[in-house]
Amino acid sequence: MAAESRSASKSSPPSGDHFAVLGLAARHDLTRDEVEVAYLALAKQWHPDRVGPDDLAAKRRSMEASAAINVAYRALRDPVTRLEYLVKLGGVDLDSSDPKTGAPAPTQAFLVDMIERREGLSDARQGGTLAGFRGEVEDAEEEAVDAALAAITEGDTPAAAQSLVQRRYWQRLLDEIDDTEHTST
Amino acid sequence: MGIEDDDGNDTGALFQIEEPVAPMRKTTVPGRGIGIDLGTTHSLVAVAPCGEAPRTLGDADGRALLPSVVSYIGETPDVGWDARAAQLSAPTRVVSSVKRFMGRGTADIEFQHPYRIAALGDGAADVVRLEVGQGRVVTPMEVSARILEVLAARAEEALGETPTGAVITVPAYFDEAQRQATKDAGRIAGLTVYRLLAEPTAAALAYGLDKGGQGLFAVYDLGGGTFDISVLRLRDGVFQVLATGGDSALGGDDFDRAVGEHLLREAGVHTPTVLQREQARVAARDAKETLSTAETVSVQWEGGPALTLTRGQLNAVIGPIAERTAAPCRGALKDAGVRARDLDGVVLVGGSTRTPLVRNLVESIFRRKPLSDIDPDQVVAYGAAIVADELSGYAREGATLLDVAPLSLGLETMGGIVEKIIPRNAAIPIAARQVFTNYSEKQTGMMIHVVQGERELADDCRSLARFDLSGIPRLPPSMARIEITFELDADALLTVTARELMTGVKQTVEVKPTYGLSDEDVDALVIESLDNADEDFARRNLAEARVELGRVVLAVSAALTEVGDVEGILVAEDRAAIVSALADGEAAMAPTGPTEHHEIVAVRERLEHVSEAFARRRMERALLAGMEGMSLSEVENTIAADDTLDAKRGSHEAEQIEKI
Repeated sequence: MAAESRSASKSSPPSGDHFAVLGLAARHDLTRDEVEVAYLALAKQWHPDRVGPDDLAAKRRSMEASAAINVAYRALRDPVTRLEYLVKLGGVDLDSSDPKTGAPAPTQAFLVDMIERREGLSDARQGGTLAGFRGEVEDAEEEAVDAALAAITEGDTPAAAQSLVQRRYWQRLLDEIDDTEHTST
Repeated sequence: MGIEDDDGNDTGALFQIEEPVAPMRKTTVPGRGIGIDLGTTHSLVAVAPCGEAPRTLGDADGRALLPSVVSYIGETPDVGWDARAAQLSAPTRVVSSVKRFMGRGTADIEFQHPYRIAALGDGAADVVRLEVGQGRVVTPMEVSARILEVLAARAEEALGETPTGAVITVPAYFDEAQRQATKDAGRIAGLTVYRLLAEPTAAALAYGLDKGGQGLFAVYDLGGGTFDISVLRLRDGVFQVLATGGDSALGGDDFDRAVGEHLLREAGVHTPTVLQREQARVAARDAKETLSTAETVSVQWEGGPALTLTRGQLNAVIGPIAERTAAPCRGALKDAGVRARDLDGVVLVGGSTRTPLVRNLVESIFRRKPLSDIDPDQVVAYGAAIVADELSGYAREGATLLDVAPLSLGLETMGGIVEKIIPRNAAIPIAARQVFTNYSEKQTGMMIHVVQGERELADDCRSLARFDLSGIPRLPPSMARIEITFELDADALLTVTARELMTGVKQTVEVKPTYGLSDEDVDALVIESLDNADEDFARRNLAEARVELGRVVLAVSAALTEVGDVEGILVAEDRAAIVSALADGEAAMAPTGPTEHHEIVAVRERLEHVSEAFARRRMERALLAGMEGMSLSEVENTIAADDTLDAKRGSHEAEQIEKI
């Protein structure tokens, strides 16, 4: 009866890196739509619901495939996490603290800048100019993304990694600003 | 078992699929799946057999709604309208709004209720148990099971056949414990639960297919006891939940209680009895319903004064409670990455959305008039029936559902900080893993604490399970590799697996969150309500023992092939003992092997015992390889320094070393 819709179990499950899993080229300039379309088609094909509950082997295969597809989608749909993943494929894991392959330490100059911004945060908090301050930090965060993008385009993984590390600092600062806004309202 | 590749894209691939519990009847017969909306105040059952449009099923009087009320006044429990009518005569023996107790421990019950909660026995799991008179004590899962049984019987009559399975809806925001409790209730009622489906998803499904279209929807679901908000998109035949949020302890019941308190104050009653409070609550509920259309209503209960309530007064009392739904709505939009104006529709679900104040609030949050062309009481059951029809094996023209994890799942690490492993709103099913290491050679155990929630500190999150991972081989600091895998299945139910990667002998400990009822408790309850279930239980035990033996046989034979011939690692005598124990293991797993689970366990234990020395030598060898070039005294110094460190550090804390 439903043999055709259950064909997922016959083809081989997606494998490889996140791009390969979704059948996409490993590029930074994918549109959200490209990622979505690829994801939805695969998610539909491999969903565990398409396998009857009595076929344990097929059920397991479809769950493993679905998990891989969902993990890949999560990593690639957002431009920033996609950049981070490209950097990881280039050999730098931003989530690791390994001195050789982990996130690079931010430059001295950047850290000095960061300290000044943080002082700016407490001033803005007292002076009631938080919105304006937030805007500045947002701009800095966007600049870091753009710089990482430019570096990746040139194939310069270390530079991209450095920019992405900086972006994370800005993101943390933005989160703190949001927390401040929450507690003050 | 999963294969790990080096670039960290392994997806876990460890999904443990339960061995079927001796399938006595086929679990899928197309068209024989039923959809159940197990609500706080009302429950419903619907069917949509073999592609038909969904329809709810009524009782003998044609009423589709079944009050979720169970009376324990008589010898046998009574469910529904009569039970509800009996509520005021014996408030402590008639259980309503039991959904609020599902998956909750005694410490979680902070809301008002008229029941006596049984004291916890020594060492008993922290499950709420209600004393319902005459020495009878029931768990919320049993109470829910009674409701499910009535609905299943209704479906059986309508279909003319026994339903093969059910889809039961749960609030999207239900946590692990609450989901597990719901599934347990289904099992106790003797139902095969195909799927736990999020209520807003079910509603959107009913709407989406009804409108036959594509689009972006928000579903605002305010029921009797729970509030859910979900943002979903229908595209290319896939129904994708983008974000979900809510409050699993906020609903129309809170309106009733608040209005009841207001009425008691108006009546000059300052220290109400249990009965008075219940009377006021029931009067408040009726008044609230009348005020959905009328501007003013007169209120009176037995022995109370005549009062009037206006819609303005009602709004003043319930306004602050309803306002609490606004923040989760904005949060869900943000998580979904959409703005209110991108939405194609806002769907209202749940009886409490009939209240004009709530409608106005929804309109102001989403800046558009909400849709309510499908009865908000029935829409969830419709969606459940559609999914049940699909899962029963009927290939209906439908949408594939992609749901998300409602709350983040993580592990407690150093200093009580939560390390999130699966983030909130990640699409499910999903698997994620993280590798931890040891502090010292002395550390042979690790405490694993699994939590759920969005807060930074483990103490502020919901604790799901704590277990000790033991048997970590003695390895120098940071040499052990303990990999913890989280797997969330399509019901958003979690399995946690831990294994040690450094040594060839993999030890797998599998843990299901230990809240609510244990598997044994549930099995015992199932046995109570089913004949011949003893046999099933034994078969399940046997199946589990076989799987476990299989794992050990596989690991030991792999190790033997790999390094068994290396000189000095294995004396002939030990080798012979291992080979013989392996042969026994193979024999025990054959169809002609023993049929008592303890016999299988004994074979496994013997194999583990005779191969213990071999496993230890393999480890030592691995260790020496790691210390190559060190002199003996250097090795001793390393160990001594390690001892000092060990004394300084908590030896059981996990140190996170890498995130995959």
